Amino acid sequence: MAATVPPPTHVAKENEIKIEEKIDYLNLPCPIPYEEIHREALMSLKPELFEGMRFDFTKGLNQKFSLSHSMFMGPMEVPSQSTETIKIPTSHYEFGANFLDPKLMLFGRILTDGRLNARVKCDLTDNLTLKANAQLTSEPHMSHGMGNFDYKGKDYRAQFQLGNGALFGANYIQSVTPHLSLGGEVFWAGQHRKSGIGFAGRYNSDKMVATGQVASTGMVALSYVQKVSEKVSLASDFMYNYMSRDVTTSFGYDYILRQCRLRGKIDSNGCTAAFLEERLNMGLNFILSAEIDHRKKDYKFGFGLTVGE
Amino acid sequence: MASEGKRGRLSLPGTSGNGDEGIIARVSNTISQSPIVYQGKRAASDAAFVTKKLLKSTGRAAWIAGTTLLILVVPLIIEMDREQQMNELELQQASLLGTPPVAPQK
Repeated sequence: MAATVPPPTHVAKENEIKIEEKIDYLNLPCPIPYEEIHREALMSLKPELFEGMRFDFTKGLNQKFSLSHSMFMGPMEVPSQSTETIKIPTSHYEFGANFLDPKLMLFGRILTDGRLNARVKCDLTDNLTLKANAQLTSEPHMSHGMGNFDYKGKDYRAQFQLGNGALFGANYIQSVTPHLSLGGEVFWAGQHRKSGIGFAGRYNSDKMVATGQVASTGMVALSYVQKVSEKVSLASDFMYNYMSRDVTTSFGYDYILRQCRLRGKIDSNGCTAAFLEERLNMGLNFILSAEIDHRKKDYKFGFGLTVGE
Repeated sequence: MASEGKRGRLSLPGTSGNGDEGIIARVSNTISQSPIVYQGKRAASDAAFVTKKLLKSTGRAAWIAGTTLLILVVPLIIEMDREQQMNELELQQASLLGTPPVAPQK
């Protein structure tokens, strides 16, 4: 066909050459980790919305070691049985210490209300990585710990998870074609006597990312991200839970401009949110967060300042 | 007889008065009780109710749409405008100085 009809433009010619290029199935790229397959969609659709005032300050003591201080003041939602949300004004201070090295990363956070959070990421060998995460609270039965072993192969990734409460999990993701990767997971929670299995697929090209995930817990999650240009991407996702029968769809945009990053989203629950990060100066960011829930009449507005990094 | 006449005489103005009022009342009654007026009244009150509801719901819809646009679109327009201004400024500087701009001017 290509021989009989000459391609009219250079672009078309290039495309044809690309298509005719043989795919080397033994030399596929490494897929991204199983737990991060929704990464692009989550980045656009789930910004860290908050209500109130926050101030974050990070100071590097030397190249590898840095300290962080963060303050938060504002209403906190209290979980309750009634449909109306109850908010209690709170304020807390968080102190953190970070150690960053290419082979070893350590993060520690402690809050004034007694919560302690620790994270470790350590490269044991070139392919094997250990990730650990622990959270300690003053309340009983709320502390938990988790450890992950990640193995990165040439065109696959495997992960083994261990958590407290006899939680075991394993997942595996494999590149099938240069753009498509498929994976699966199994988990077993001994404390709750629950087990599950899940499958996921991800297709990514330069312009778009589409992912789908199903799990035996009844969860179906689909997401689609279209990169309109280098600065702009549009994202949409669809969540369905077979057990609770709730369906949510959301649509969002993500603008990365030179001085700011703006993310906005609207979902089928009547919830609108926007998150603006404005770079005022080198190492000084101003954050504005807004969330409006028309149905619940819940309005959240927040502003913050990030200093350092 | 006299009493009858008296009664009749007495009753006459009353009856005549009643008759006068009766005419007006009858007319007004026929008007007010006519099905056309009744239906017109009902239609008017229904229309008023519907308009009130419609205005209320349009107002609410407009409020929701307005706040949503304020959250989603207004910051986007402002930021895009700023970006464009900055690009123009940079272009101007580049053309004036003839050198690539070092840092974006605020």
